[in-house]
Amino acid sequence: MSTLSRNIRSFLLTEIVAGMASTFKMMFQPKVTLNYPYEKGPLSVRFRGEHALRRYANGEERCIACKLCEATCPAEAITIEAEERDDGSRRTTRYDIDMTKCIYCGLCEEACPVDAIVEGPNYEFATETREELFYDKDKLLSNGDRWEALLARRLELDAPYR
Amino acid sequence: MVKVLVDGTPVDVPAGSSALQACEAAGKEIPRFCYHERLSVAGNCRMCLVQVVRAPKLVASCGFPVAEGMQILTDTDVVRRARRAVMEFLLINHPLDCPICDQGGECDLQDQAYGYGSGVSRYQEAKRAVTDKELGPLVKTVMTRCIQCSRCVRFSTEVAGTPELGIVSRGENAEVTTYVEKALTSELSGNLIDICPVGALTAKPTAFRARSWEYKKTDSIDVMDAVGTNIQIQARGAEVMRIVPRINDEVNEEWLSDKGRFSVDGLKKRRLDHPWVRVHGKLHKASWQDTLVSMARRFEGISGDRIGAIAGDLCDVESLCALKDLMTALGSSHTDCRQDGAWYDMRSRSGYLFNSGITGIDEADALLLIGSIPRHEAPVLNARIRKQYLHKGRGGFPVASIGALPVDLTYNVDVLGEGPEVLTRLLDGSEAFAEVLKTAKRPMIILGHGALTRPDAQAVYEATLQLAYQTGVITQDWNGLNILHTAASRVGALDIGFVPGSRGFAVTNMLRGGVEILWLLGADDFPLDKISKDTFVIYQGHHGDAAAARADIILPGAAYTEKSGTYVNTAGEVQRALRAVFPPGQAREDWQIIRAFSEVAGHPLPYDSVEALRARMAKVNPVFSNAGTEIAPAPQSVTDSSVSKGTAEFNNARIRPVIDDYYQTNSISRASLTMAECSRVYGPMRAVAAE
Amino acid sequence: MAHFFYQTLVGQIILMVLETLAVLVPLLIGVAYLTLMERKVMAAMQRRRGPNVNGLFGLLQAFADAIKMIVKETVIPAGANRILFLFAPFLAFALAMLAWAVIPTGNGLAVANINVGILYLLAVSSLGVYGILIAGWASNSKYAFMGSMRAAAQMVSYEVSIGLIIVSVLLAVGSLNLNDIVLAQRHIWFCLPMFPVFIIFFISALAETGRAPFDLPEGESELVAGFFVEYSSLAFGLFFLGEYANMILMSALVSILFLGGWLPPIGVFPFTLVPGPLWLIAKILFCLFVFIWVRATFPRFRYDQLMRLGWKVFLPFSLIWMIGTAAFLMVTGLLPQGGGMN
Repeated sequence: MSTLSRNIRSFLLTEIVAGMASTFKMMFQPKVTLNYPYEKGPLSVRFRGEHALRRYANGEERCIACKLCEATCPAEAITIEAEERDDGSRRTTRYDIDMTKCIYCGLCEEACPVDAIVEGPNYEFATETREELFYDKDKLLSNGDRWEALLARRLELDAPYR
Repeated sequence: MVKVLVDGTPVDVPAGSSALQACEAAGKEIPRFCYHERLSVAGNCRMCLVQVVRAPKLVASCGFPVAEGMQILTDTDVVRRARRAVMEFLLINHPLDCPICDQGGECDLQDQAYGYGSGVSRYQEAKRAVTDKELGPLVKTVMTRCIQCSRCVRFSTEVAGTPELGIVSRGENAEVTTYVEKALTSELSGNLIDICPVGALTAKPTAFRARSWEYKKTDSIDVMDAVGTNIQIQARGAEVMRIVPRINDEVNEEWLSDKGRFSVDGLKKRRLDHPWVRVHGKLHKASWQDTLVSMARRFEGISGDRIGAIAGDLCDVESLCALKDLMTALGSSHTDCRQDGAWYDMRSRSGYLFNSGITGIDEADALLLIGSIPRHEAPVLNARIRKQYLHKGRGGFPVASIGALPVDLTYNVDVLGEGPEVLTRLLDGSEAFAEVLKTAKRPMIILGHGALTRPDAQAVYEATLQLAYQTGVITQDWNGLNILHTAASRVGALDIGFVPGSRGFAVTNMLRGGVEILWLLGADDFPLDKISKDTFVIYQGHHGDAAAARADIILPGAAYTEKSGTYVNTAGEVQRALRAVFPPGQAREDWQIIRAFSEVAGHPLPYDSVEALRARMAKVNPVFSNAGTEIAPAPQSVTDSSVSKGTAEFNNARIRPVIDDYYQTNSISRASLTMAECSRVYGPMRAVAAE
Repeated sequence: MAHFFYQTLVGQIILMVLETLAVLVPLLIGVAYLTLMERKVMAAMQRRRGPNVNGLFGLLQAFADAIKMIVKETVIPAGANRILFLFAPFLAFALAMLAWAVIPTGNGLAVANINVGILYLLAVSSLGVYGILIAGWASNSKYAFMGSMRAAAQMVSYEVSIGLIIVSVLLAVGSLNLNDIVLAQRHIWFCLPMFPVFIIFFISALAETGRAPFDLPEGESELVAGFFVEYSSLAFGLFFLGEYANMILMSALVSILFLGGWLPPIGVFPFTLVPGPLWLIAKILFCLFVFIWVRATFPRFRYDQLMRLGWKVFLPFSLIWMIGTAAFLMVTGLLPQGGGMN
């Protein structure tokens, strides 16, 4: 019986028809894709996008050149050189992130004891040349200045879970 | 031996050991801050608490002597709780600024807080702050981080012999200080950085430059003095960041002189990184090819006995061997490594070695210094003498010196006189110290270059040798007649035969116009103005120091951190250094330069690899046959008592110290800003009178 | 005027060229928009948007793609046979275009209304294998070679059953002229009495054009891209055009053989108002839609499954069907007598 019904079904192409009916029905379902450049999806406060180096409210850079981010970076994308600044404080003379190496894991942000390096909400930083993705300290600090309001808000929202 | 039980494991330890040593012998890790193997026991950090069965309370294991059958428990709940509590107390006033602390990553407090601490603090009140102290150009202080373990105090008092640090005030106000603000005057002050278990004392020249985990570590040998201190070169990328000592009880225990440690910035300054050729009186950059070819052209038609070579103080044996072979191939026997004009007894190897071995100091019970100021010539060795001095006590280890001492040697020294005539008095017994040497079981004489560089060096040496035989410094089983060298390359050069051949010229004759072409292998420390005007000078070396300016051709070589080389220390121990970084720019390893030139000059040397070169070295002198990390066997004692009576006479000039400025003795330290700063702070000579 | 075109040689040549262009230009534009349609339909079935940036609803996307493809560099692999390598895509493209000469878009509306139109079609589509084989061999790449072998084997296999099914249709029509085949369906489209072979023909058409689920010659997962893996720029574009032109050709063939060509569904008033070519276009579009629909629905066959289906299922079935049709026509006396409409 089952063999017979299977053969009948096979000959009548029921499964093929059912499959095609299924895809046909999908044509009239609402679209699930976002019309990206014009509409964007929601972003978690933990989203790990483009890096930024933050400053304190008085304009002093937060980074203290502890190199924990450099040490923790699994892609070895961060390069830091440090030196004693004239006022005796420990500061970086160089803070480079090779964004082409970066895997956006967020460990640098987690390792940072002073919330200096953060991964911000910006994910639209594609460039035309590779070289533009080799971020230096100036670029990271300017990122920080540009996104600071949002960065602070995100850290504040996420603080209870850290 | 005493048998004790550590966590149930029976171990045998020597009587008088501490409980901590017993635990270490049993393989247990005991956390500690104040305890250090080479310092006296202080017992003030309380971190090493262990439980001793039937003791009423926990004991500090570092200061608790073992007794037969004692049962020690190192890992009970009580012990763990106590450690947590001690750690919590220690951290009360510790700033926890690990991210900006240079000790971070190699910090005992950090590691032990991680391993034995509780992880949370209950301390709510304000922490104390301590003003930082100025300890000179080498050691940076952040005294707030200090946990008053007093290691630094004990180090400077005991090992360095410069009791300039101490703890003042009590309780919360206790702090380590120099009493009055002054720079540390020890040549071993860098070791304070290693010994400090927290980040209170860190290296000032490299402050904030790198982290401990970034370093690529390479084992090497220090060349700043002839002790052959075992060092570890720590490089970050292509840059040598710092140098720290390795533990080698045969040589340097675990200390390193400041010059060896802090000269590193000299490796980046004034480097020769390109070949230069003098054309019409001016030096021009040239390619290797052009340089070697124009050099070979200059050699054309010049007979071998018009060519000479002088080796400097920092050379490895490989390059010395290659240059010697090249000179031989060219037909020259004018090779000399004694740019200071020293005289050595070349009859056997023991004529120029520190014969008792450096560990021999630990047995010595009387010491006569002749023209030597070990504190400047070999600070680490000097610390060893001081150790023996402290160990034996003032009466048990009498030290005398022939030659004035411009500096406190950190132990009590009798200055017998300032000229070699004292030797005559010692020989005829009119000087009381001869009796001291005679009665001593292990008498020792250290003959320094203050005496050996004199014109009457041979007479001084022969008188000394005679004195040695007379007073039992040399016996069947003990050879206490020690030559203290100041140049790292010297013993190796003597071993490889880098001395004038049978009809060869010594340095003075070469300079006087005896040669037409003079090859300087890193030789800077001789009177350059004495080189005759029409001598063609080739300078092969790593620094643009004095001699490079005189040179007609400059061949950029590698510094000691940039080549794998063999060095022989003053005691004749053959040690091998490994390459930490590559030479800068066009610079190459020295033996390769010589090998390349030999090809161009048409006398190719028969080795293409460093292994083949080392095989050649072993053939020249068997002491190089098993060089490596192992130490060559101790030199044989001399029993040949047929001392030829010196025909030369003493001249009665005072014996002069060979080192005027400890911090500026070679091309690397002269290029170093840190060393220049030290020289400025401490003055060209530390005018501290002997006791 | 008419005299010029019908009587003089020059006029006839011009007329010929114009006729050809009248077929080819809409065809090429059709191909361009077929790619857009494919992307849009697939997107819809997968609940995506599809191209919508270039032009209104992405209408200019096809031209953007074309421009992009043309300006790319033509890479000729080292070790390739240059001449054959460049000849293969032209052959494939030319053959795909050539077949359109005999497709009637209305009654008598064909560039060449010849009596053996269906044979011509079979011949031309069989030649298509050469383009593929030459491309695969000339590329000097194992992927391309394997892909062309597969493509050739697949096309040859399914041409057999296609041929047999066409014979069944021809039996019922009694003519090899495509115009006659369409006209024979005035009363009833062949898809109804011959429904099973209609389905088999359609599936074989999928296989013949190398469309999903029979796109094994491309087999990204194992052959990277099949026989045109080494092709880029315009050479690749020609293959691409040929392939999509073949799709349209197959759709046209299905429409002509089974769906009544340019004929309206029922020959009554409202339907007859619509001109025949529009009907044919509508049927072709429907077929193409099904092509895409199938692609969006089914996963790719395995190669042995493909061969088994072709040789062990379709071939015997279409053979039996042909014999059955012939027997039925003989028994009922409905067998058309030679000569047919002409």
